[in-house]
Amino acid sequence: MFNHRVLAVLKRELREKLMSKSFILMTILIPVFMFGIIGVQTLVMSYEGDSNTKVEVITESAQLTQKCQLYFDDLDFVKDGTYKITYNTVAASDIRNYIDNKKQDLMGDKLTGIIFIPEKALENKKLEYYSNTPSNRTIPQKIDGPVNKVLLDEYFSNKNLSEDELQFARMGIDFSSFKVSEKNEIEEQGFGNTILAYLFSFMLYISLLFSGQMTMQSVQEEKNSKIVEVLLSSVSSKELMTGKIFGSTITSTFQMAIWLLPVLAIISTTWFVLPPEFVVDITVGHLIYFLINFFLAVIIFHGLFATVGAIFENSQEAQSGMWPVMLLIMIPFFISFSILRNPNNPMAVVSSYLPFATLMVMPGRYTVVDLPLWQLFVSGLVNVATIAAIFPLAGKIYRVGILRTGKKPSWSEVIKWMKYKY
Amino acid sequence: MYALEVKNLCKSFGKLKAVDNASFNVPEGSVFGLIGRNGAGKTTTIRMMMNIYMPDSGEVILRGSTVGQEFKNSVGYLPEERGLYKKMRVLETLLYFAELKGKAGKNLTKKAKEYLERFDLTDRINSKVEELSKGNQQKIQFIATILHDPEFVILDEPFSGLDPINTNLLREIILEKKNEGKIIIFSTHLMDFAEKMCDHIAMIDHGKIILNGSLSQLKSKYAQRNISLNYEGDISFLNNHQMVEKISDFGNTTGIKVKLPEHTQQLLKLLIDNNVTVKKFDANDISLQEIFVQLAGKEEDVMEVPYV
Repeated sequence: MFNHRVLAVLKRELREKLMSKSFILMTILIPVFMFGIIGVQTLVMSYEGDSNTKVEVITESAQLTQKCQLYFDDLDFVKDGTYKITYNTVAASDIRNYIDNKKQDLMGDKLTGIIFIPEKALENKKLEYYSNTPSNRTIPQKIDGPVNKVLLDEYFSNKNLSEDELQFARMGIDFSSFKVSEKNEIEEQGFGNTILAYLFSFMLYISLLFSGQMTMQSVQEEKNSKIVEVLLSSVSSKELMTGKIFGSTITSTFQMAIWLLPVLAIISTTWFVLPPEFVVDITVGHLIYFLINFFLAVIIFHGLFATVGAIFENSQEAQSGMWPVMLLIMIPFFISFSILRNPNNPMAVVSSYLPFATLMVMPGRYTVVDLPLWQLFVSGLVNVATIAAIFPLAGKIYRVGILRTGKKPSWSEVIKWMKYKY
Repeated sequence: MYALEVKNLCKSFGKLKAVDNASFNVPEGSVFGLIGRNGAGKTTTIRMMMNIYMPDSGEVILRGSTVGQEFKNSVGYLPEERGLYKKMRVLETLLYFAELKGKAGKNLTKKAKEYLERFDLTDRINSKVEELSKGNQQKIQFIATILHDPEFVILDEPFSGLDPINTNLLREIILEKKNEGKIIIFSTHLMDFAEKMCDHIAMIDHGKIILNGSLSQLKSKYAQRNISLNYEGDISFLNNHQMVEKISDFGNTTGIKVKLPEHTQQLLKLLIDNNVTVKKFDANDISLQEIFVQLAGKEEDVMEVPYV
């Protein structure tokens, strides 16, 4: 399969791609872009836009008001000045009048909202929130925990409970997650692997789409500039396709290996100290599996992209003609997200053995679940079988398409090409 | 002894029968022309000869065995629509095409540089192909076709789109290769050109070979009773003349077919008697174009006037 002609084509591909500006840019920019996206997302999520919030907390008894003040002054968002809380004591019967008086303040930005804790709250925990934007839940959500604790204290204060008992009542629920695997010890697990699985899926998705389209364009260049006819006077179309696809596969895998270097550094060195909830629990073997899987994925998808490139005469037609290949990448990509919620949902399990889908789904699944080796092996077999099944057909379409000019062929014509003796 | 034997090649694309049972032979050391109008099946035939297309049936024999990779390695091919990698550098391009033929090394690089010098391109050796003028890109393509010293040079419509300088350059290359004893096969729809360059031809029309053999033999076979005439004056009196079978005006020359062989001499006398200035009177001569028109009928695009 690898004679000197294939190697010559392969070498040219490598030279052209590895030395190109776009390759170097992609190699650097994609990780920056990816971490940028994650960073922006985290920033957006954490930014609730509630700085400079002015809240008035009102209770019916001076004692409760005082207790609230004592408690709230200790809260982080009060200490750092994000929330400015004022306190007042108003009877339930007067509260409507009071709010009416404060209307101007509430409509302007002197006051964001008023939280009223009626006496009855000590029986039913029902509070009232007055604001010109009551649908904004940020303030009630932030305040409800502390208020609850104040109410608890107040409620139990005359029930003769010990401080320990009170402490227990105040506590919320805290889950610790433990990963049970074939390994001997049971380990506490944080979000590290989930984040990593996201990352793996993203890298697969982005790399396959970008590099696949580059391969398609390069086939199109050969077809449009008619170089291909000169090439085919020296090599067979099979040799040309093999050389091209292996060239781009090696390039992409090399690029992916570079992208994985930070992950390798995290798991095998002590250069990075991650907070315990972000510790990643994978091995070097896992990364190697990821690369092998990626290698197969690139062969398969670049084969398809190259075929699409050969079918169409100009790049616009090709852009519109590549949607079937895009779907084969995108649908499994979305499935791989469902895995991260529940790695054992049936769709995830089934799709991790389906041709094409397994390439996208299995790496993520393997990152969050400890899979027995045979499952990875089956997935690999499915991939090899996929290659064996599609390449003879893709090769035929490529061979017919690459020399064909004229009007845009329909899909049914393309299927007929497979029967041509070429 | 034949270098290549084309036997009963057939090729269809869907309903279109592009090549229909084509057979012809290319002798050793010949300049062979595959002649026909646009769309007659020339390119498809050439592609099948080089194994770029698989024939539906039939075969091509290279000195006794079916053509395969061995033939590809010994061919330099210049397709009708030419192309190079735009971003590749000149020398790199030349070496790459030779590498695909299995040729590499210092000698090859030296030879490439010699060709570049001969074609006035030494200063562009490290330029990117896209930085070159179209004419210079064509020169690079010629060099790429012959750099690996092929035994067969196959040219598909070699003169289409060439400027006069490159036309001469390519003709020079063809003659040089011919003198080296290489076999040159080209396709063309330009009859004049084929007539000047070829010693053997095959004519193809609607996918069928309608004529093939040595050019001189074919000519003498078709030339009886044919006169090729260059003149000044009025020859309209020949229309409907009892000894003239047919008059065809080919622009530069006029072809006249007389009814009996002895009419040839009488025709010359008749022309002089009628004050026609005879510049050239070639008895028993026929142009390839005339043969083609006789065999294939309508003239249409075979009339195109060539550069050469």
